[in-house]
Amino acid sequence: MNLTQQLVNGIVLGHAYALIAIGWTVLLGVARLVNFGHGQMYMLGAFVTWYGVSRLGLPYIVSIPFAMLAGVAVGFIMQRVMLRLTLKQDLVSIMIVTLGFGYVLHGAAALTFGSTGQILETPLSTQDIYWGDLWFTYQDIAIVIVAILFFAALKYTIDRTRIGRLARMVAEDPQLAALAGINVKRVYFGVFAFEGAAVALAAALVAPRTPILTSMGFDEVIVTFVVVVLGGIGSVTGSYLAGLALGLFTAFFGAFVSPAYATAAAFAVLIAVLVVRPGGLAVSPGGR
Amino acid sequence: MSHGMKTILLAILAVLGFFVPMILGGSGAVYAACVLIAIFAVMSYGLDMIVSDLGEVSLAHTVFFAVGAYTTALLSASAGFGPLLSLAGALLMALLVAALLGLVTLQLREFVFSLVTYAVAVVAATVAQNWSFLGGSDGLRGIPAFEISLLGFSARNDRELWPVAYLLLLAAIYVVSSFRRSRLGQAAMMVHLNPRLAVTSGVDPQRTRLQVFLLSAPITASAGWLYAYQRAYISADVLETYFLILMLTAVVVVGRRLLLGPLVGVTLILVQEKFFSFGGYVDKIILGSVLILTLSFLPSGLVGIFAPLRTLFARRQAPLGKPIPERS
Amino acid sequence: MNNRPVLEAKDLKVAYGGNLALDLPHLAVRERELVGVVGANGAGKSTLVNGLVGWSRGTPKISGKVLLDGRDISGLPTHERVRSGLLLIPEGKLVFTQMTVEENLSSTSDETDLGQGRRRYSTDEVYGLFPRLHERRHHLGSQLSGGERQMLGIARALRLGPRALLLDEPSIGLAPRLVSTVLDTVRSLVDSGLTVLLVEQNVRAAIEVVDRLVLLERGRIIAEGPAADMRDDPRIAEAYLGAHVA
Ligand SMILES: Nc1ncnc2c1ncn2[C@@H]1O[C@H](COP(=O)(O)OP(=O)(O)O)[C@@H](O)[C@H]1O
Ligand SMILES: [Mg+2]
Repeated sequence: MNLTQQLVNGIVLGHAYALIAIGWTVLLGVARLVNFGHGQMYMLGAFVTWYGVSRLGLPYIVSIPFAMLAGVAVGFIMQRVMLRLTLKQDLVSIMIVTLGFGYVLHGAAALTFGSTGQILETPLSTQDIYWGDLWFTYQDIAIVIVAILFFAALKYTIDRTRIGRLARMVAEDPQLAALAGINVKRVYFGVFAFEGAAVALAAALVAPRTPILTSMGFDEVIVTFVVVVLGGIGSVTGSYLAGLALGLFTAFFGAFVSPAYATAAAFAVLIAVLVVRPGGLAVSPGGR
Repeated sequence: MSHGMKTILLAILAVLGFFVPMILGGSGAVYAACVLIAIFAVMSYGLDMIVSDLGEVSLAHTVFFAVGAYTTALLSASAGFGPLLSLAGALLMALLVAALLGLVTLQLREFVFSLVTYAVAVVAATVAQNWSFLGGSDGLRGIPAFEISLLGFSARNDRELWPVAYLLLLAAIYVVSSFRRSRLGQAAMMVHLNPRLAVTSGVDPQRTRLQVFLLSAPITASAGWLYAYQRAYISADVLETYFLILMLTAVVVVGRRLLLGPLVGVTLILVQEKFFSFGGYVDKIILGSVLILTLSFLPSGLVGIFAPLRTLFARRQAPLGKPIPERS
Repeated sequence: MNNRPVLEAKDLKVAYGGNLALDLPHLAVRERELVGVVGANGAGKSTLVNGLVGWSRGTPKISGKVLLDGRDISGLPTHERVRSGLLLIPEGKLVFTQMTVEENLSSTSDETDLGQGRRRYSTDEVYGLFPRLHERRHHLGSQLSGGERQMLGIARALRLGPRALLLDEPSIGLAPRLVSTVLDTVRSLVDSGLTVLLVEQNVRAAIEVVDRLVLLERGRIIAEGPAADMRDDPRIAEAYLGAHVA
């Protein structure tokens, strides 16, 4: 087990984590919303991709947008149901409701896809690359590239485009945004749809690395929490860096200490940060 | 209704409650369901204080439930402790864990608080599955029957366990109702509804939060204690989301801050699962949907539909969430 | 001057909880008219202008009709009333503090056909009107002074193509010299074709620029008339005096 290999693993894992967390980051930064069903939406994204590839025989590249559409639909339904709570900004109820949605998604997925584990095999995940004594797959490369492109595009959209500006206005002050003629509800819907699409994309890319189960999703939620909190709540750039840092941490911890407790260790880091600077967690509107 | 009248009525209700399984035919299935309802109701009452009174959402209460169950399993199976000593141990462990968690999360509010408590629950599940001391994924077996030799009491099945479960339930309800009338309970409501006023009237919000937390954790842990005896073995599945969703639904579905709310909630859910089940996955969908729909469309719970009935249960309704302070 | 009202309210009532904060049987603002709304603190002035766009930072119950160019807009949500040309510059926080002046002035709507009587001011035009904003275009909203924020608020409204402008106490907290600058700007906007309802606590300053004055007390209109006639109306002094005593 050499160091460079762990570095490679960490970088891949880091980009995977950043990608998994980005939907939440935007959700929190723009709409001040939380989604405790995030992990189950990840699970659903993985299974819809798997269903597309191995049951419908769709090409992987077609299954990804298929899964993202499913994610958008779920996000849209959630937001529709919670709209009253969202407009009241009743975060506490929203948390519980999203937790409930996660639970329902788990039940529905187990009912539809069965409770046995599956392997999501893609044309990229089966092709290994050996480079010196380093080993990775094309899937890993795809994760890194897509994550970088996705973050760059998102950052550009938020900072430079009209849509991004509207989102930042709603993030800072939804009431004032309404006075600027912005349909705040639509922005909320859009943000939740984005969350659904982003987590499904992450799942479609990252899930092939490990077997998939309908009961999964909890590790992903912890990862997301850690990334979102460490990155500075709502910050896109911060999330990217935090994801990368967490990926490296997990890779090295898994290699040198214990893989079973890697998530627990990541969480311990989060706790440490929270205890040291509980006040440093203010939401930065606009999700920059 | 005068206070004295109310007390007498409640006493009659408490005595009658004991005979419910007999009235319902007294079959093994009925007793099993009643014991589970009592256990899960006790578990929910712990969370009820946090959600309804303090206005925060702790997602770590499954951990307290698990702490109660695991401590009991370890003490009774390995150390040979009797039920009373394992109860003391379970409560003590719950207090310890709650104190630790309470101190760590003292500064945290709202979703960050919930996020951390949720993460605690998820991590606890990982630990329970992997730590051989806790039996790893096999869990802990060999929990002896519930026997208090001092009293010559022994319970080998649900029918015999029912008096214990019912007593525990009454105790939990009593604690919650005393809490609501106590200074601490009033302080919690004030911290919940008007933190600024609370501070100016000399209530320390952080202290109050910690105290409520410390009171609530042992209640949920005591449910874990009895659950260990009822099941005779304990594994990491006591940390499943099912228990969390069950508790949350029970707390909100009937209506918040109703003394019997969590009990009625748990009863509705368990009756559906035990006697009108559509299979595990569909039951999951039903339970989750009830939770979602209640919070989204019935903010004051089922009693909201039957508004006239509410006067019977009369208690102040408090909003669950606090409005977010205005951003500047 | 055309006599058809641009903005009209009928039976407008606003209640907070059980408290009726506004009860307005009728109010009309005509084309190119500058109407001042005055009254003591808590008289319901903000409630009035907020109610016209169906907006609030609280949760009031609003009933009654609001007509813009004869069209009933009271069924529309706030953002659609804004898009149909009824623009409110609210009291208190009125700019996006975490965005630059330039971003505050960027367009939030891409409609091009605004309909009759409306014109979207260009960025250059508003910078021409408020050179100060041009100087500070790269500053964040949070870095602006009170006066600059008022200018930015007005400028933002102009960028959205107003049919009628509702201004809530633009002079609050400003130095006396600035008060008249802001009010003069409002007057010149009206002279160049805008229709404005201006809320002011500062009656003395307001009376110099408005065409008509409406005096509110406890949510009701207690006096109304051309500015010139209202100048010496004892009820104005009384309304304010009453508030001071209370
Ligand atoms: N968000 C609110 N919640 C409850 N009452 C309010 C709210 N806003 C205003 N009021 C009440 O409505 C009345 C009118 O207030 P307002 O319109 O702000 O007065 P003005 O702008 O003339 O100073 C006051 O009695 C005030 O207490
Ligand atoms: Mg006002």
